[in-house]
Amino acid sequence: MGFSLSAAQADAVLHALKNDYRIFAPKRFPSQGRYSDTDIIRYEEIDGFSDIVWETKSDYPAKEVITPIQQTIFYFTEDEYRASKAKEKPILLLARPCDINAQQIQAKIYCENGDYEDLYYKRIRERVKFALMDCNGGDDTCFCVSMEANKTDDYALALKFSPEGLLVQVKDETFTPYFTGMPQADYTPAFVEENSLKVNIPDLDDKAVRLALKMHPMWQEFNRRCISCGACTVACSTCTCFTTRDLIYGDNPEVGERRRVAASCQIAGFDQMAGQREIRSTAGDRMRYKVLHKFHDYKARFGERHMCVGCGRCTHRCPELIAISATVNKVNAAVEEIKAGLAGQ
Amino acid sequence: MNHDIDIKKLRLNCFRQSKVPGEFMLQMRVPGGTIDAKYLSYVEHIAKTWGDGSFHIGTRQSFDIPGIPYENIPAVNAYLEQYIQEVDSQLCGVDMDTVSHEPKPWDPTSGYPTIGARNITGCIGNYHCICGNCNTFELARRIEPIIFPSHYHIKINIAGCPNDCNKAHLCDFGIIGVARMTYHPERCIACGACVRACEKGATRVLTLNEASGKVEKDACCCVGCGECVRACPTSAWTRQETKFYRVILGGRTGRQTPRIGKMFLNWATEDVVLGVLKNWQKFSAWVMDYKPEYLHGGHLIDRAGYKKFKEIILDGVELNPECLVAEDMFWHETEYRSNFNVKPLSMHHTAGPKK
Repeated sequence: MGFSLSAAQADAVLHALKNDYRIFAPKRFPSQGRYSDTDIIRYEEIDGFSDIVWETKSDYPAKEVITPIQQTIFYFTEDEYRASKAKEKPILLLARPCDINAQQIQAKIYCENGDYEDLYYKRIRERVKFALMDCNGGDDTCFCVSMEANKTDDYALALKFSPEGLLVQVKDETFTPYFTGMPQADYTPAFVEENSLKVNIPDLDDKAVRLALKMHPMWQEFNRRCISCGACTVACSTCTCFTTRDLIYGDNPEVGERRRVAASCQIAGFDQMAGQREIRSTAGDRMRYKVLHKFHDYKARFGERHMCVGCGRCTHRCPELIAISATVNKVNAAVEEIKAGLAGQ
Repeated sequence: MNHDIDIKKLRLNCFRQSKVPGEFMLQMRVPGGTIDAKYLSYVEHIAKTWGDGSFHIGTRQSFDIPGIPYENIPAVNAYLEQYIQEVDSQLCGVDMDTVSHEPKPWDPTSGYPTIGARNITGCIGNYHCICGNCNTFELARRIEPIIFPSHYHIKINIAGCPNDCNKAHLCDFGIIGVARMTYHPERCIACGACVRACEKGATRVLTLNEASGKVEKDACCCVGCGECVRACPTSAWTRQETKFYRVILGGRTGRQTPRIGKMFLNWATEDVVLGVLKNWQKFSAWVMDYKPEYLHGGHLIDRAGYKKFKEIILDGVELNPECLVAEDMFWHETEYRSNFNVKPLSMHHTAGPKK
């Protein structure tokens, strides 16, 4: 069932939905960008239709709603502890196909990686329904088609925004009542079939190639260029790494809360172990780890797909202007060089 | 060479005397140092038609055209009309028919009416720079109608951030764009990037509290540069939307007593900065007994004393709640000669209306 709504009608529907859902969407935060007089667009609970930023891709991913940068997981007092409580009210999350596909990946890491299901992920993910934001291919950092993350059927509503209003497809019929009396129109979401940016995924099936790639001088470029700030992984739609931090409330170290806080494989110290040993002690090592994780390791473990959805946010947020697409192309070139070398032996 | 030229009158007209008798250098105002590139063709035309074909980028970011013979000045002034109209009247909203806020009709073919208020300089600011906290030339364009045309001297330099590439510390009235930050602890991942950035590039006011996993700030020593915002990978530090400024007072170069300016206002809003500048003519007039002399602004503050300056310059200005004002001011001058200030009373400068 489809509807065509004016901005005022869309606002009315949103207000009706807000009785039963917390609605999260990309929202503009004026002047909060990295540079003066630049904005950031990130996910936040919205009040009305005009809050939604749909023309531009958000700087930060939809994952922040489901796996926030910081959350309290439990409270402890001496010998007792209690898990934090999740908000009961379900979430309607407006997201592009890349962000929705990213949640398939986050779900694998949190709930299908070994025998343990992550309570804190699962309890919020179960309350989320997606409202697909029709996307015409994003910007020049997007390569979702290359990563096969351009399509999804995991949505309750599909929305196509325009300055005049909104086209809606209601796929989950429990949403139909919110549209009672609204003008009907046929609308089926279209998925982008081609991005201007295309990325070829390197063939890393051969272990000898991977070992040679590990030592390849291409990574040294990043010792000079990458500042290891971690902005790429914070902006990443799929990165899941976190650490825990205990906040002690007062002078009794036995009373406090444990928080889960996002961590980044790009920041020095991420892999520091007992005895202070670090496995990846240079920016180049850390970049290699990230790139291979996104474009080889995850798929090698879980099959199906790569861990990158091609949303381009890491490129968009990198203060040193390092593009993941260019980096993967350099990997491709290195792999060709390595293969030619191996064949010649 | 037989010349009879009133060089003081030409100086007020923004033509500077050359070592070659009878030649002059035009100084065209470029408020904030940024302007549509099309005006470079005006510069080229003047230099090639009436000057010696060369062009100097003025130390105060004016377009300087040397080698203009005295006879060519009327033609140059007539040609300047369009530039002055477009840049000063239209772009900056200057009322050309006033001098020091008093009515004085401007002859559009007569060139610049005053030299006193010098070209306002600016770094490129946040129009381009990743460090800038404010748009320097837009601010300059809002200041221009307050200080120009006027025979009272003031040199204003605008720097987009506390890095002060544009030397706000070395002019009468230096303006530095500063930011007040908001910390969003729920977005902080305790990576310490801001702490390191502040330590390396600013005033070392941030500390990572290992117990809380959050960053603490010694707010009183924060210079408002925004390096923490630039370093933060999660947008846990953001600039507040309101723009703030630091005003550095009384810096100067010069043969006698060069000195670095000192902080007069901190965290002032634009309204406050503009309000203070609106009192500049009043202060200058009071010091010189309402008779403008060719005397630079910083010297007027010396004559009046900082406290008298503060009284007049803040008159009627409503300070924003964040704004801090220097209670006193202790400049440190380069004394080329010791006991420079010790001289007969008759040589001392005075300030204020004469009886």
